[in-house]
Amino acid sequence: MEQLEDFLRNNKPVVKDDPTFLLKTRQRMEAVEGIKAEVDRQRSHGCKALIVALIVGLAVGSAATAIAYLYPVDANSVGEGLLDSVRAFLTTWKQYLIYIVAVLAITLGLVLTRSSKNPIRL
Amino acid sequence: MTEERFISQVREQQEPLRRFLLALCNGDDALADDLAQDALVRAYVASGSFLGLSKFSTWLFRIAYNCYIDYCRKNKPEKTGVEEAQTLPAQETSDASFRYQQLYQALEKLPEKEKAAIALFYFEELSIKEISAILNIPQGTIKYHLSTGRQHLKQHLQTWNS
Repeated sequence: MEQLEDFLRNNKPVVKDDPTFLLKTRQRMEAVEGIKAEVDRQRSHGCKALIVALIVGLAVGSAATAIAYLYPVDANSVGEGLLDSVRAFLTTWKQYLIYIVAVLAITLGLVLTRSSKNPIRL
Repeated sequence: MTEERFISQVREQQEPLRRFLLALCNGDDALADDLAQDALVRAYVASGSFLGLSKFSTWLFRIAYNCYIDYCRKNKPEKTGVEEAQTLPAQETSDASFRYQQLYQALEKLPEKEKAAIALFYFEELSIKEISAILNIPQGTIKYHLSTGRQHLKQHLQTWNS
C-alpha cells in the first residue's frame, strides 16, 4: 500500500502550461458580466413599469372611489350616457373598489420595499 | 470581492484546480480546462456570497467538483482521455506518459467520490477536513472512500501490470 501511495504522490497529473487559460477565463467572465448587466437592466425596466402601473392604478382607483362616495347616484334614475353609466357602475360596486385600491396600495408598498433593498437604477 | 482581487486569487489557485479536474477527467486536459473555466465563472458570479468562512481554495474546489458532477450527469462518457492517450503515436510514448496512462486508466474505473478523494488527498495534499468540506461528506466517509479507493486502485494497477 505504501508503494501505491508513493506512486500517487510521485505521479501527480501535470497541467499543461497554458498562458491563455486566464485570458480565456477573463473573457468568459466579461461575457457573463455583460449578460448579468443586461438581465439587471431588463429587471429594472420591468420593475419600473410595474411601479408606474401600480401608481396609475392607485390614483385612478382612489379617484373612482372618491367620486363614488362623494357623488353617489341612484342607479335606477341615471340617463343612458357613458358618464352616467360609469357613475352608476361605481356607485353600485363602490365597496369592492376600496378592496381593489387597498390591494394596489399594499402591492405598491411591497414592490417599493423590495426595490429599496435591491435598488433599481432609474 | 472585486474582479482584480478575484483574478489574483484565481492566479494562485488555477494550477491545483486544473490538476484536480485533470485527475477527475482521466487526463482529458481540454475537458478539464473547460470545466475549470466554467467553475471559475460560476465562482465569479457567486463571489458576492463568499463570506470567508472557509478558505477560498476550498470554496473554489467545491464549485469545481459540482461542475464536474453536473457534467457527468449531462454527459455519459463515450471517449475518455485514457482512450485518447492509448492512441498516442509510438514515438510520443515515454515511461512517464506510460505511467500516467496507467494511472488515468486506473482512476477512470473508480467511483466519482473515491476518485475525488484520492485526487484531493494525494495530488493536492489536502487534509481530510478540507476534503470533507469540498465533497460535502463527513470525515469518516472520506477515510472510507480513501481506503476503498486505494484498494481499488491497487487492484486495477496490478491487473494492468500483469
